[in-house]
Amino acid sequence: MENVIEIRNLTKSYGKNRGVIDVSLDVKNGEIFGFLGPNGAGKSTTIRSMLGFLKFNEGSIRILGMDSVKEHEKILRSVGYMPSEAWFYDTMKVSDVIKYAADVRGLDCSKEAAKICEKLKVNKDKRIKELSLGNRKKVSIVCAMQHKPELFIFDEPTSGLDPLIQKHFFELISEYVANGATCLLSTHVLTEVNKYCTSAAIMREGRLMMLDTPKIDDETFLGFYEDEEEK
Amino acid sequence: MRHIFAKELKLNMKSFIIWSLSVGLLGLACILLYKSMQGDMKEMADAFSNMGAFSDAFGMSTLSIATLKGYFATEVGTVHGLGGGMFAAIMAISIISKEEEGHSGEFIYSLPVSRSKVLLAKGLCVAVYLVAFTIICGLLYAGGFVALDEELPTGQLLTFMVRQMIMNFELAGICFGISSISWKNRMGLGIALSMCFYFYDVIGRVVPDLKDYLFVGPYSYANAAEIFTDADTPVKALVIAAVMIVCSVAFAFWYYNKRDLAS
Repeated sequence: MENVIEIRNLTKSYGKNRGVIDVSLDVKNGEIFGFLGPNGAGKSTTIRSMLGFLKFNEGSIRILGMDSVKEHEKILRSVGYMPSEAWFYDTMKVSDVIKYAADVRGLDCSKEAAKICEKLKVNKDKRIKELSLGNRKKVSIVCAMQHKPELFIFDEPTSGLDPLIQKHFFELISEYVANGATCLLSTHVLTEVNKYCTSAAIMREGRLMMLDTPKIDDETFLGFYEDEEEK
Repeated sequence: MRHIFAKELKLNMKSFIIWSLSVGLLGLACILLYKSMQGDMKEMADAFSNMGAFSDAFGMSTLSIATLKGYFATEVGTVHGLGGGMFAAIMAISIISKEEEGHSGEFIYSLPVSRSKVLLAKGLCVAVYLVAFTIICGLLYAGGFVALDEELPTGQLLTFMVRQMIMNFELAGICFGISSISWKNRMGLGIALSMCFYFYDVIGRVVPDLKDYLFVGPYSYANAAEIFTDADTPVKALVIAAVMIVCSVAFAFWYYNKRDLAS
């Protein structure tokens, strides 16, 4: 099975502050990969390094077989990313934001966008500044999915979404993954990991540890969030 | 890239319309007021032309404000210089940093487009609006001359507008460079910078010892009094302006491509 994400010895620091240390990770084609860890553990740093938002100090990242630095633009054509905080341009209408994301990609995604909007009950006529966090997140999901990418990267996608929309969101992911996509899911929700993920890893204090199985119980899961000192 | 360019044009349209109409109409109003003030102008012109260094600073020793050309150079020259400088600085200093301040950076930079292309689209947007600002203001000022049935000093007005535009480009270039290193909107810094350059030029013309260093500032080659009295083209100042524009924009591209983006 081919690796869609290959991270080798990734180290990123913010001046004297720790970011991530010597992280190596493989995500295989067709997986829904659970990416766990307490706040500030380094999950977002890893994701943001993969997407080229951060310039990492050491290591290498290959996505879909391409070098994340040299072929950054090409990689992003095949990636759908949803950040934990979904922000757009306040004065733009939802429909304009969705179309703008497709236009920049040079694609007509109107059919797929309409399908996702209907499923997630997105009101396309409102302006971004009129939306709640949950509704902004729905717009972000549409922007990440409408071009049917080969790789999804979701950073805490379900926070702020109501349970029904969460259910529809995972139905959509399952559908895309069944059609050959891969998904990296950064989350704090145990049920999401247990129910949907096929493999998982946990980040603690900038270091990554692969889990034997994503099917874990509450106690083990919460143990990951305890401080080293408490253990 | 054209979609990012079009989006930037759309997002900055309101600011452009407000600034170009405010500055242009204020200049036009100044011109139209000339006739009603013409009677009192002669005495005023004599008084103003004998104020020593201050007359030099505002060009009133070489131009008479009793003539429309002199009145335009001293009054509208100041309004346009300050207004245009502030517009250029405000627009350029927020154009890059607004993505990180407004948290829209993760959206735009997760799309398949390089940082350089985003910067190019943003830089082009600033350039287009500065050219359009100059054209709108220039047409309004020319309209003022025509409305008063006065002879239009076409060549001098054109030179004044083009030099002012270059000055706006220089200020915008410096602010574009600052915007590339900033994670926050520095509108106040942009305004302060344009005001500092303006007062550097005014003080430089008042203080004799500073006159030799005037060419460093962007307002030096855009001085209306010098242009409307057909003074020699300040080649040194224009070369420095060109170097500043190229270096500031090149710095913005270089620095923005190597730095981390805030979430």
